[in-house]
Amino acid sequence: MIGRRRFLTRILPTPIWASLGMRSLSRNAEAKTVEQTSYKQLTHSEADTLAAWCDVIVSGARRAGVAKFVDQSLSGDQASSVLLLRYLNASDMAGFYRKGIIGIGAESHHRFSAPFPQLTLDQQREMIAAAVASKMQVWNEPDPNFFYFISRSDAVDVVYGTEAGFADLGIPYLAHISPPKPW
Amino acid sequence: MTKISHQKVEVVIAGSGIAGSTMAAELGEAGFHVLVLEAGPERKLSEMISSQIWSRRLRWAGPEVQETGDLVGAANFAMGWGTGGAGLHWYANWYRLHPDDFHVRSQYGRSLDWPISYEDLQPWYDHAQTYFGVSGNLDPNTPPGAPYPMPAIPMSSQSNAIAKGFDAEGLKLTSNTLAVNSVPYDGRAGCVLDGWCDAGCPIGALANPLVLQWPRAIKAGVELRHNSYVTRIETDPAGSRATGVVYIDENGQENVQPADIVISACHTIWNARLLLLSTADKHPDGLGNRSGTLGHYFTSHALTTIHGLFEQETEPHTGVTGANTLCLVGYDNKQPAKGAFGSRAWLVGQAAKPNDLLGTALAKPELFGDALDAYLRRASSHYGNMTVLCEEESIKENRISLDPTKRDRYGLPQAHVTNSLPQENVARSEMAKSEGLRIFKAAGTSEAWAGPRNPMHMIGGTIMGRDPAASVTNSFGQLHEVENVFVAGASLFPTPGAINPTATLAALVFRTADYIRTNRSSLLP
Repeated sequence: MIGRRRFLTRILPTPIWASLGMRSLSRNAEAKTVEQTSYKQLTHSEADTLAAWCDVIVSGARRAGVAKFVDQSLSGDQASSVLLLRYLNASDMAGFYRKGIIGIGAESHHRFSAPFPQLTLDQQREMIAAAVASKMQVWNEPDPNFFYFISRSDAVDVVYGTEAGFADLGIPYLAHISPPKPW
Repeated sequence: MTKISHQKVEVVIAGSGIAGSTMAAELGEAGFHVLVLEAGPERKLSEMISSQIWSRRLRWAGPEVQETGDLVGAANFAMGWGTGGAGLHWYANWYRLHPDDFHVRSQYGRSLDWPISYEDLQPWYDHAQTYFGVSGNLDPNTPPGAPYPMPAIPMSSQSNAIAKGFDAEGLKLTSNTLAVNSVPYDGRAGCVLDGWCDAGCPIGALANPLVLQWPRAIKAGVELRHNSYVTRIETDPAGSRATGVVYIDENGQENVQPADIVISACHTIWNARLLLLSTADKHPDGLGNRSGTLGHYFTSHALTTIHGLFEQETEPHTGVTGANTLCLVGYDNKQPAKGAFGSRAWLVGQAAKPNDLLGTALAKPELFGDALDAYLRRASSHYGNMTVLCEEESIKENRISLDPTKRDRYGLPQAHVTNSLPQENVARSEMAKSEGLRIFKAAGTSEAWAGPRNPMHMIGGTIMGRDPAASVTNSFGQLHEVENVFVAGASLFPTPGAINPTATLAALVFRTADYIRTNRSSLLP
């Protein structure tokens, strides 16, 4: 299963987080957005953790609704899911996310004695870099490297993979049939 | 629970993808009473929404496949779900196997031989390219055949940027051959090169079953029944003739569909699985498995993508998802170095959007935060790629099997694929990766890198052969042991070559349909 879970991330370079510049985040406003959103599969706490995690990977993922994006697909059957995970391991998608979010929390408490959303940005980046480098200390299941790969894809989907995201990157969308909504 | 019984048909086909729909149209037009059972839902062109996110709904949503080995992991990405199957999101790369691909065992003492030669299949390749509509120019590195019915699609900015790298390596980049209309063809529109092929082509420029085979099949009276998951092929008490199939409908109810001829035209894994599930007293190890080869000799292609950032603008979001250009120079040299074995083919300049498995973001999975954003802003206009397909030898150890300890949603044993790349194929793949990086460096990239090796295409498991003791079917896909059961699809290939399989799949379907037409009186009771 290792080969499958490391589908595209088998060889990852040493941590690159240290070279990244600081980015200011208006966390309070974003947290408020989460509180006002209803979820079907995820708890508010799970959604907050997932959104915070994805927002470090792709800035703007929380505001773009990544937690809702994941929750919506987990609430339906596999046929209606729009998650990349369905290509690679569709046997228990809700369980995969739930266990991954538990893993984020466990690792965060182990390293910094606080939930992931409450860490400093540098601490959050250190956690992401550890997932990239497969260097998590207490989080084992699901494979943190694979969870990073999947959650990164979710964040990329909602930020860069929509018509608005294409426009932000300067890419003409050129749709035959435009999506009736982003997802 | 009582099974629902239906009126007998002459031909029942499991699967409505490219193999099943082509077979259905051919036999329907020949006057057979044909029913197609599709496991997934009905699909319409309006569902082909230009979005990598939305397009995931077109992919496989049937029972989960277990996969083990070092060249697995893309089953759900490759397979379709609903009318047209994977034919709704295929890339339309259209290649003929080379003559040597049919005789690997005889010529090199390894892998397998086909029971037919290139010359046997050549007229069917010619027919298939006219039927599907193929664009391309003459390439001296491809096998002989009729000219393509349309000129090639134009060279893209990506290909122009990469071409000088091939020149420096002493190789030649040629236009790709694609089942994509470069000009209006057969009542279908010409391609506008918008790069959305794998989200589905609602204008029909890319030949997909909703615009090509199904209109013909429906006009010929073929019936298509959706949400019908075929679970076994039934045989008579002697085990010598199939009597029909059993399928589960959308209510979970078992149905019995009697038929004179049964054709399994599912995706590779499911063709083997259906026969393995069809056990009976006379064939306790699965239908057509007296040889013990059913499920075995599964192969794939070992894929490595070379990525790069170019100084010039490459417009990576445009073109076709398959590839804009092609290099088959050296394909026929299956022994390029000591310890390395197999053909290789370069597919160059695939259209890339920011997201999904083949998107620019996942080309650099280690980047996050500001570094990812900066990379994507540059990649959106300066990214280029090419993919090498390398041959995997057919070995018995790589196989599709049933796992009796795990049950799928229908309560049936789960499908299990085991596939590991033989060492000399690994060496070939590594050589190709080095070649690709040299090419991108010579092309003047500011940065070039290789992705990991991954599988592409699923082939084998119900291989054809001359010897009933060493294969599942004859060259027409007809089971050696049960004359009114046929298999259609890439599961029949004894060897995979190093090129995309659909042209060969289609050629075999036309050849088998002709065989069934010709032998109608003996096949029908």
